[in-house]
Amino acid sequence: MSGELDPVIHAAARLRITATLATLPAGDRMSFPRLQEILEMTPGNLSTHLRKLEDAGYVDVTKTHQGRTPVTYLALTTSGRHAFERYTETLRSVLGATE
Amino acid sequence: MTNDLPDDDTPLDPAAMLALLEQQQRKVNNDLIAPVPWILLVWGFAWLLGFLALWSMPGGGNPLFEVPPTIAWLTFVALLIVAIVVSAILGSRIGRGVRGASGFSGAVYGLSWTFGSIAAAGIGAGMVRLGMSSDLAGVLFPALYGLVAGLLYLAGAAIWRSISQLVLGLWLLLVSTVSVFAGLPHNYLVMGLAGGGAFLVYGIVLFIIRARSRQ
Repeated sequence: MSGELDPVIHAAARLRITATLATLPAGDRMSFPRLQEILEMTPGNLSTHLRKLEDAGYVDVTKTHQGRTPVTYLALTTSGRHAFERYTETLRSVLGATE
Repeated sequence: MTNDLPDDDTPLDPAAMLALLEQQQRKVNNDLIAPVPWILLVWGFAWLLGFLALWSMPGGGNPLFEVPPTIAWLTFVALLIVAIVVSAILGSRIGRGVRGASGFSGAVYGLSWTFGSIAAAGIGAGMVRLGMSSDLAGVLFPALYGLVAGLLYLAGAAIWRSISQLVLGLWLLLVSTVSVFAGLPHNYLVMGLAGGGAFLVYGIVLFIIRARSRQ
């Protein structure tokens, strides 16, 4: 049954990243350090999972500068938001079916 | 740390994944507005203690003790200044690390408090200049400020679809209106207990909700 669940999102770390970015209204982005702080992940671990989400086209990465410090901002793409909604629906229907 | 959320490649069973998803989103929503209950507590204490000090001036309504007028007004103004400074600092941390479309709403909302308060003070000062007595000013100023605060909570309720802000906003409008009918000096008691008290209750409720969502 879990075969129907999107494997890109169906991993604890990436589910938490996607769920976090999905709470932002469309058009908003979150900085890498803030995302890391909320998720309590190491930078390396977060980067690895973000890359997988980016490769799948679910996360949009924007690099910008605040003063002279480079800051990376992250947001779900439209297809990332849809994938997360589909994933949540599938999860709920899988659970509903087993009850 | 209070949570030990998994951060690896393991897929858990569907029920655990759904629980993880919901727990994470609650945590994010709490983290992004983390300073809000503190701001409410600071304003709650400022209104409660400040207005009670004014109510306790000689010839006022406090049957238990009196506070000399100079000290009462200094206390009131000092508490307001502390609350303004603290909420400006804490307020700038709301939604920290997030930028984009909603930044405009947040910035306009923050500025609305500043300009709304200045306008309320300006209208009151204008009325004094037109000959309004200091007794009437003592009733009008708090009520005007309560009106501005109530309307801004209604605006906040509209922006963030928040029922609790809607309730607080309507309550502040009611309290401000009732304070005028209570008249001097008991309007100060109404603003302090019912207005300041409402901020305190709301702040404490938010702390309780947050503590529960961590369990």
